[in-house]
Amino acid sequence: MRALVLAAGRGTGLYPFTETRPKAMLPIAGEMLLENALKKLRAAGVTDVVMVVGHCHQRIIDYFSHGAVHGVTIQYVKQENPTDIRDAARRARDFFQPGEIFLLVYADVLTSGNIYRHVIQTFGSFNEPVAAICHTPQAQNFGTVYLDANMRINRLVEKPSEREMGNYVLAGVFVMPFELFDFLEDHEMDSSLNAIIGSSGLRAAIWEEPWLDAQRPWDLLEGNQMMMRSWTEAHVSGTVQLRGAVQFRGPVTIEPDVVIESGASIFGPCFIGRGSFIGNGVLVRPYTSIGADCTIGFGVELKNCTLFDRVRVGRLSYIGDSVIGEDAFVGSGTMTVNHNLERAEIQLSLKEGIVNSGLDKLGSFVGDGAQVGASNTLAAGAVIAPGDIVPTHHTYPRGEN
Amino acid sequence: MCGIAGMVASSNVAKRLYRSIAALEYRGYDSCGMALQTNGHIDVRKDVGTVELVNLNTRLTEMKGRVGIAHTRWATHGAVTKENAHPHVDGEGRVAVVHNGIVSNYRELREQLEESGTRFASETDTEVIAHLLGAYLDKHGNDMELAFVSALQDIDGTFSLAVISTKSPGKIYCAKRESPLIIGLGDNANFIGSDFNAFIEFTKQAVIMDDGEYAVVTRQGYSVKEILGGETVDKSVTEIEWDVEMSRRGGYPHYMLKEIYDQPASVLSALNIPREDLRALAGIIHESRQTLLGGVGTTYYIAAMAQYYFSHLAGCYLPAISTDEFPQLAQIGPEDALVAISQSGETYDTLTAIRHAKENGAKTGAIVNVMGSSLVRTVDVPILQGSGPEICVISTKAALSQALILLLCALELGEMRGRFGEKDVLRYREDISSLSDILSEMLNERSGFLHTSANRHQNMKNWLYLGRGIYYPAAMECALKMKEVTYLHAEGMSAGFLKHGTISLIDENMHTIVLMPPPEEEELHSLTRSSAEEVRARDGFVLGFRFEGDEKVAGLFSEEIVLPRVSSILAPFLHLISGQLLAYFLAVALKRDVDRPRALAKSVTVA
Repeated sequence: MRALVLAAGRGTGLYPFTETRPKAMLPIAGEMLLENALKKLRAAGVTDVVMVVGHCHQRIIDYFSHGAVHGVTIQYVKQENPTDIRDAARRARDFFQPGEIFLLVYADVLTSGNIYRHVIQTFGSFNEPVAAICHTPQAQNFGTVYLDANMRINRLVEKPSEREMGNYVLAGVFVMPFELFDFLEDHEMDSSLNAIIGSSGLRAAIWEEPWLDAQRPWDLLEGNQMMMRSWTEAHVSGTVQLRGAVQFRGPVTIEPDVVIESGASIFGPCFIGRGSFIGNGVLVRPYTSIGADCTIGFGVELKNCTLFDRVRVGRLSYIGDSVIGEDAFVGSGTMTVNHNLERAEIQLSLKEGIVNSGLDKLGSFVGDGAQVGASNTLAAGAVIAPGDIVPTHHTYPRGEN
Repeated sequence: MCGIAGMVASSNVAKRLYRSIAALEYRGYDSCGMALQTNGHIDVRKDVGTVELVNLNTRLTEMKGRVGIAHTRWATHGAVTKENAHPHVDGEGRVAVVHNGIVSNYRELREQLEESGTRFASETDTEVIAHLLGAYLDKHGNDMELAFVSALQDIDGTFSLAVISTKSPGKIYCAKRESPLIIGLGDNANFIGSDFNAFIEFTKQAVIMDDGEYAVVTRQGYSVKEILGGETVDKSVTEIEWDVEMSRRGGYPHYMLKEIYDQPASVLSALNIPREDLRALAGIIHESRQTLLGGVGTTYYIAAMAQYYFSHLAGCYLPAISTDEFPQLAQIGPEDALVAISQSGETYDTLTAIRHAKENGAKTGAIVNVMGSSLVRTVDVPILQGSGPEICVISTKAALSQALILLLCALELGEMRGRFGEKDVLRYREDISSLSDILSEMLNERSGFLHTSANRHQNMKNWLYLGRGIYYPAAMECALKMKEVTYLHAEGMSAGFLKHGTISLIDENMHTIVLMPPPEEEELHSLTRSSAEEVRARDGFVLGFRFEGDEKVAGLFSEEIVLPRVSSILAPFLHLISGQLLAYFLAVALKRDVDRPRALAKSVTVA
């Protein structure tokens, strides 16, 4: 079976990180979302992929090229307006044959187990179109479904009402007939699926393992936890250099050419990417994901955070419950404050305005290439735009905390 | 509890026989094996593990032979080992035996056989049967039927068994005494099995054997005779209505979830039970001085719930009794009645209670899911609930239907007793007919909340379910569901009981679930509310199952699941289904073996 992978999504809600990359290229637990999807597709026996790209598409093409490194063959379809699924379908249609059955994949969905295999098996058992469904506390963001006693979907609700928040939601993986393209000529995705329900029926494949569609920047931290919880073993590359006594505990994953100086403590589950440098006395606590070629200075503490590639963190800093974008610089002695004194739910200033995270513990979100001067205090929920500069010895945003 | 299967056909039976025991695996699954007869000898393959695993290790499906027997075991006598797995053979490999039940005099028989030089390979009572058959083959000059009957007359106990022998090729000998056994009639192939699942894939024609009968089954036919006396018995052929597709999982991740989702349909089947049948059952209650409601495990809690329906609707108190305690406790005579509840109709404790009641001249009734089961054939008035096969060891749809049928029966009794008229019965039934749609709504629109809640609290090890009135036995049933499938500590309790001791357990290691009645049941509602407040006052976490539009509980719970609004007569059903879903999702989060929890078997046919 071939797959149509939708990777054009912009992920506006994930500001500031999706300003400079497509949503599918966000790293979780050391891997891009799209990379994770392609690996699982290959493991499920799907090696022929048609991929719709749009927002910042060059990043995807540069990273995956024709897919040889990941053991798949990728053909790209460029979409100009990434929010329009119908436009994507029109462009992708020529790559498929009438009568063909294909796997339809939303690339930004993250699962710990192999959801594609499950969906393909369900298709094999019933030989009719399949939609993966799951439960999620964020049901308001997805189309919800009604099931009959035979696990067929008999109704699909595009914009669920309050009372439909407990329904199963579409989990972003389908086995579809070629006719879907015909329906998409005149209808949106949800109406087209309803048409499939009416014509050939739509069988549900219930997915009960962890599932996440990241909607907000803090969901990246949730994703780390989701993936890392299933880790049971430590993997330390043979080319890692330990320069003195370094303490490891739990399922740590450390990629080749990492250098760790004396006195560091690395507590898993955590991930340290290829070529990074971990200074003397650094403390890496669970659910930390450090990208490739990062530099972590003396005495830094990292906890429940994601550092993208090439991040530099100066000595004696603390990064917790935070996400730091690519090529960002965090000066020495910087503290990410991760709660208010009154333990109130933390608000963030995102693109569409102030957003309540619903969390009482949350650090900072630093965009790609931003520079934070030394000796700064970043308030809980601080968001720094890509490339911004926060002067030395400063409290950001000014006047808070 | 074990499953036995057998098959005699005109071509190799290995693959079909393997599918048979795979379909019976829910009856027991600690070890399994098959014996096929080919070219004058019997090939036996068996091992410890699930049917699938044993097949991987011993290649059951690659065996050869046109006649064979098979077994999936749930140990009662002897440890779970390869030696103790069935089939068992005699010393010379002339016979192979599979057996479900207990040979109560096996020690004496074994001693006698050992004195005459027989050597045993296992600790099981079944092997005794094999050697006994061997001894009788010697004695009767290899006349297999005579040897079989002689052996049957020597053994005491409750059993069903099947035998193949090199001395009588192409035939399966089988017998039944209290454990279930049926014969399936196919095209050029005949079958035997512990229940329909063994051969429903191959035929829908069945002959149900009765206690004290044995049968010889060949490819072309069968004959059934009495063990004592040897007279031929004329048996009728039953058409099985269950559909094979229905017996399978239908794509659901577990049978348990499938069966939870079957409930809107199984409720409709219960509502379609003819009112005459319900009135027949209500009739024996009406005519009796005292009627007991008997069940054990889940069915006891269902009986306990029904007490409240009978009390409120019919104005009579029918005590619920757990049938395992029945012999110690019950006083029952010719003027009394016992109504038993059992999914399988083979539950040992419940059958014993019914037999005890019959011996004392009492009238008997039963609500049973499995047609042709011992209970159906034993009682005066059986009601078949028609819920379809329930494969998951944990009872969900069968239990919910049983509660509904007892409610419908209470309505009939209420009318008989002059509590209300025919019109009221119809009005109640009209209201109850909405249950199917309400359960669908619950499953579709609210299951996600229970899933989220289960995921959030998956690390909690202790759960306390509280309810008052009918919600008290519902709380116990919800707690049992959780215990069975999650292996967590859960207990159900009447909310009024709480402050008389148990409240001292409330701390951060104990979560409490409160089953709120609908707000119209004002007294119950206010009493239940105050119990929830008592727990909250001790900083206990309280998850409330409450109904939509219930303003009085605002802010009462730490967390809540809102149930669709229904009339109070149907309210407990929504608590039951919520309890099922919460237990299921917790078990999934904890990666439990949902359909086959450790140490449990589908129907408990032993004492």
